[in-house]
Amino acid sequence: MASNLLKVPIFSKLPSLATRIILPSAAYHRERIGNREVVGFGLNGEPSYIDRTDFPMPAIRFKENSQEITTLREKEKGDWKELSMDEKKTLYRASFCQTFSEMKAPTGEWKSVLAGTFVAMALTVWLYVWMKNFVYQPMPDSFTPEKKAAQLQRIIDLRVNPIEGLASKYDYENNRWKD
Amino acid sequence: MFRNAMLSGFSSVRNVKNLFFPSLANIKQGRVSAVCIRSMSKHSSETEEEFDARYEAYFNRSDIDGWDVRKAMNDLQGMDLVPEPKIISAALKACRRVNDYALAVRFLEAVKDKCGNRVKEIYPYIIQEVRPILDELGVNTPEEMGYDKPELYLESVYDIH
Repeated sequence: MASNLLKVPIFSKLPSLATRIILPSAAYHRERIGNREVVGFGLNGEPSYIDRTDFPMPAIRFKENSQEITTLREKEKGDWKELSMDEKKTLYRASFCQTFSEMKAPTGEWKSVLAGTFVAMALTVWLYVWMKNFVYQPMPDSFTPEKKAAQLQRIIDLRVNPIEGLASKYDYENNRWKD
Repeated sequence: MFRNAMLSGFSSVRNVKNLFFPSLANIKQGRVSAVCIRSMSKHSSETEEEFDARYEAYFNRSDIDGWDVRKAMNDLQGMDLVPEPKIISAALKACRRVNDYALAVRFLEAVKDKCGNRVKEIYPYIIQEVRPILDELGVNTPEEMGYDKPELYLESVYDIH
């Protein structure tokens, strides 16, 4: 692919770059881009403007050719040291929408993503509260503290898991829990 | 330039050929100039110096036009490398020939972006090597223009309701 660069493309023989938009889609594209100058191949050959770090030179200039920009372009043909910083910036912004640092600037979107996640979690908790109040049946009475204490006493009396489990933690000589 | 290790692995395959065909080793010492050899894989057998020379010669064409400059710059951006300072100098001179100042600054920004996470080591070196051309042509680096920090804000299309 890269060796194709050495072959001079036929289109460069055409007098102006604008005629590289080849018929029949010339009117279609021209409608969409207005007066903007077509300057390159860009991303895919279509005359579109996209700011991308992996395709730094788009196919068309960003701004249309106004009077001010046309005069600046004439000045650009001379020595660049004579351009003021404002003129240089104007020329840059005429060809490009965003600079690389603007393209890559962090958006802070992560904050809204995190916030949305937390809101969803909170709503889930409220949903559970509603379910407990209106959907689930009441708990059986074996869950009352008195009944649970009676069950625990039964487990101790049966000596359940006496080696490593619950009964191993109970001191049967003194009838209380081991320290 | 800063190529990845795979290509240097490929060049060692070429040296093995000299062991099997010793007569060839006598005739042609060193690397084979191999731009036109057909290879079965898409790995080019071009050396780094040949690559640099090819791109420098491309940008140094006196009749180059803006279209070709931009195409080559976009292609370089797609490759896994930071262009050598001599390619960058040739490209900046090509921008001068097509009378496009913004293109020169954009290219410097693009090169800085290619440095990846080693930008603090690589980018100052590149600017130091390219400084003579920058001074000769009157091109400001993006830092001098204030474009190393964002200047304007553009609302994302996803936030426009």
